[in-house]
Amino acid sequence: MPTSASSFAAAVWAILRKECRTEWRTRYGLNASLLFAITTLTSVSFAAGRLGDRADLLGALLWIVLLFASLASLHHGFVREVEGHTLTLLRLVASPAAIAVGKLLFNLAFLLVLELVTVPLFLVLMGAPPPAWGPFLAVLALGSLALASTSTLVGAIIAQTRGRAALFAGVSLPLLLPVVAAAVSGTRGQWQQGSIGSELKLLAGFTAAVLGASILLYDHLWND
Amino acid sequence: MSGVQLATPVRSAATVDIAVTGTALMHRYAPGRGLDPIDFQVAGPGVVAVTGRNGVGKSTLLRIVAGLLQPTGGRCDVVVGGVPRAPGARRTCVGYGAPELSFYDELTVAENLKFATEARGDAGAGAAAAAALAEVGLAGRERDRFAALSSGLKQRLRLAFAILFQPPVLVLDEPGSHLDDAGRELVARLLERQRERGLALVATNDEREVRLADQRIELRGRGVGDPA
Repeated sequence: MPTSASSFAAAVWAILRKECRTEWRTRYGLNASLLFAITTLTSVSFAAGRLGDRADLLGALLWIVLLFASLASLHHGFVREVEGHTLTLLRLVASPAAIAVGKLLFNLAFLLVLELVTVPLFLVLMGAPPPAWGPFLAVLALGSLALASTSTLVGAIIAQTRGRAALFAGVSLPLLLPVVAAAVSGTRGQWQQGSIGSELKLLAGFTAAVLGASILLYDHLWND
Repeated sequence: MSGVQLATPVRSAATVDIAVTGTALMHRYAPGRGLDPIDFQVAGPGVVAVTGRNGVGKSTLLRIVAGLLQPTGGRCDVVVGGVPRAPGARRTCVGYGAPELSFYDELTVAENLKFATEARGDAGAGAAAAAALAEVGLAGRERDRFAALSSGLKQRLRLAFAILFQPPVLVLDEPGSHLDDAGRELVARLLERQRERGLALVATNDEREVRLADQRIELRGRGVGDPA
């Protein structure tokens, strides 16, 4: 008989693998996200040229591309379950918390793949100066974690609502604004050799708050 | 009360510790829509037919028993091995098959069942899935995508999922839908087997399936589509 901890881990692992497998077979989100990121970066590069001396613009542009490229896919994990009528199956085999953590880990993996393509391309096409890798990666990691955890929570909340597309925008805006603002500020700061401690603290605190709220909410989200 | 248990439950001393009880149990989706208040108690071993006209709340009752739906009134208790099981924990003791249950189109038949087994933390996922598929006559279809299956084969997969964990409580909603004669015989076999190891609740208006039952819950309340 598996313990509850090992059952939870097994459920999370199974859900993560299932998400990766279905995404790999459909390329539902990845292709669209990569298309958006590459097209945007290429267009801006042609239109504005190299922006190596504009750290303020570089930070904003990087996070705008990451945000919009990832957003549609990140929140769609739960919506797909509802529209595909598979949420019942999920609920019959795993706890809401395990489902949510599995989806969160998939969203993080999705962001990682997106960033592995987008960030090098961004640095080259925009002519960005070499980043301070430690602070740069710290902002990228914490920003991604905040983005993924917020999108996962909002996606879970809106999945079973009728006007979910409109609701997603309305609920996400106030939640994602501080994340993007802190991430942009931190990214700009590391290029300007400034301190980014406050931005990192804000991103970490925000992520912790969202994850805490998620733990409290997930078990109640799908009680019809 | 809208529901009446008509038949006397068949009980044995060995398995009387499996029971499903509804006390003033009801659910409202909207005024006049849902399950009207009902009291019942059924115990294993046995097969229970849940009958009543369309929209009276049969599927709603089964979803409540499976822990998928929180009733808006009353309570539903499921006891297995003498231990009450909370709604959130019933996935470990209730096997559920219903028309609303769907699987992942992108995955194969075997992958869908294997995922279900792995997510429950059960060891031997591949063997359990293979055994369930063989039992419902889907051996040889393991590599077919779910989306490519016919309605009848999809229904067989739902049955395979329901019995995958050999649950003490089996909950089936319209198990014979989309099935041919061989499929209906399969349902009869599964219910016979469940009668030996626990309790089955079957929502149906098919007289052939009702005859397989030794207990019955008949819902008589007003529900969806009732002009009264």
